[in-house]
Amino acid sequence: MTAHPLAGHFSVDDAARRIRHYRYAEERTMRILGGWIALTPELPAKLLFGRHVWDCAQHADLWGRRLPELRSPAQQSEPPNEAFVDFMALVETAEEPGRTIERVVGIYRVLKRHLLAEYERHLAHANPVYEPPTRRILQRCIEEERRHVAAGAVVLDRLVTDDAARARAQAWERRLVERLAAARGLGGDVETPALADVAPDSVRFQGDLVALDSTFEPVGLSEDLAQAVDAHARALIDAERSRWAADVAPEAREAVAGEYAALGKLATSEIVAVARIGAHRVVRVRLDGPERSWLVQQQWRRADGQWRLFTATIVRSDPRP
Amino acid sequence: MERPIAYDKLAREDRFVRMRARETSELRMAQGLPPMADLASRESIRERMHGIFVGELQAMEGAGRTVYDFPDAPWEFTMDMARQVWDESRHVEIYMDLLEHMGGHIGEFPESTILWRCACAEDAAARVAGVNRGLEGLACDVFNQLIHIARKIGDPIIEQAVDYVLADEITHVRMGSRWLNELTKGDPHRRRQAIEFQDTIDERFNLGGVRQDGAHDEVSISIAREARKLAGFTDEEIERLVKSTQRSPVY
Repeated sequence: MTAHPLAGHFSVDDAARRIRHYRYAEERTMRILGGWIALTPELPAKLLFGRHVWDCAQHADLWGRRLPELRSPAQQSEPPNEAFVDFMALVETAEEPGRTIERVVGIYRVLKRHLLAEYERHLAHANPVYEPPTRRILQRCIEEERRHVAAGAVVLDRLVTDDAARARAQAWERRLVERLAAARGLGGDVETPALADVAPDSVRFQGDLVALDSTFEPVGLSEDLAQAVDAHARALIDAERSRWAADVAPEAREAVAGEYAALGKLATSEIVAVARIGAHRVVRVRLDGPERSWLVQQQWRRADGQWRLFTATIVRSDPRP
Repeated sequence: MERPIAYDKLAREDRFVRMRARETSELRMAQGLPPMADLASRESIRERMHGIFVGELQAMEGAGRTVYDFPDAPWEFTMDMARQVWDESRHVEIYMDLLEHMGGHIGEFPESTILWRCACAEDAAARVAGVNRGLEGLACDVFNQLIHIARKIGDPIIEQAVDYVLADEITHVRMGSRWLNELTKGDPHRRRQAIEFQDTIDERFNLGGVRQDGAHDEVSISIAREARKLAGFTDEEIERLVKSTQRSPVY
């Protein structure tokens, strides 16, 4: 390419093709994030996805509207190749419970960092005389993707709480980067797809972070109820039926015993939730054994001056990591 | 990813206690309380706010699923639903802050997933009729009343924040009306089914006589006639809703 101000890197057809690729990535990301919101328990991640669905939709829309100006049908998405479709499909596979780390890594550590790098590469080569319509969209997308990447990094940092989680995140990232390399990136034209880095202090992303430090508050848990719930859990851990059965209202003993029959060997317990219904309390207790964890929801009511258990339901059972 | 997902896949942090709405109402009534929190005290306003907070969460999740579940729907429909996801995410934040403003916290009261279940209709037209017209219409009623109560108790924070949320909800109802018409154009059977779905949701959210046509401080949930008109409900639709509240069984 010469230094002439009208020298260009992309033909009209090349630019349209790249834009169809961008639209493919943005649209698919929008749909994946939208689908994941309901499947993601952690509030900061759930709300991060909720914030970014609309940004991705607008990016896809802007690209889709630009296309007819480049002799291409409006709102058309096109992946660069089948390998890139495979890459996106792999990102989307993180849908099972407990895979929020993989979701955030897939979108924010790999896909968006690559998209940002591709946008920056395009902007560096787009001619400033005859490609300003594309450049303006690129500039907006770059600004917003930088914000997304920075906010995603903060949320991921909160999710990765130990070495095992860190190893999981790194392994998933490596696997996705390999798959992205097999596609030769979003442009389908590079040996090693670039991943842009974003310095956190270079972007204002605080508006994208909600409920980051929000945790369980045992406000509705009075001291006597806490003691009753703990004593009950200790009896379960010790497998002493007469002790835990004494906490249960007589009319509920059979049903509660039936539910507890599904519990295995237990070692520790922790109260993780307390909700109020008038004077009653609904408590969630996590019971951990050597091999499995159980989340039990219990309904406690005051009767004859003491807390009595009226219902107990196992709401979840998971293998220990 | 599955399309659509099963109701019970709705994911929550462990600090959320989930219960069926009917069970919670029965436990409240057994203690001499109204079936759902009214707006008679700061305590009950806080409880109502917690219910709205989880409702907004489910509305965000439902709109997100609509973006994912209907890839062949018109692009402008997807754009409207994506916009709604963003709006609902802000509403979640607003109600989290209002909950804190009222001295409450996340998980303080049980969550029912009745709203989410309504957002799982398999047809896009039924989903917008049920969610955007049925549930967002209910939101117009609830928020309009909350604004009135906030004004009455002299709380400008609640009044102004909820007024902005109400403006969004009115927009969402309009989106629902537009897409109910466009998605069912030339298909009267599909349209009828979508409207019937909305009717069942309206009926369910009359909450056994809790929603009524009446003054803000006299009924638990008052029908917001003006907000509903602004959202595009016809006089005939509003009257039909009023009639349906009169035949709903009381708890």
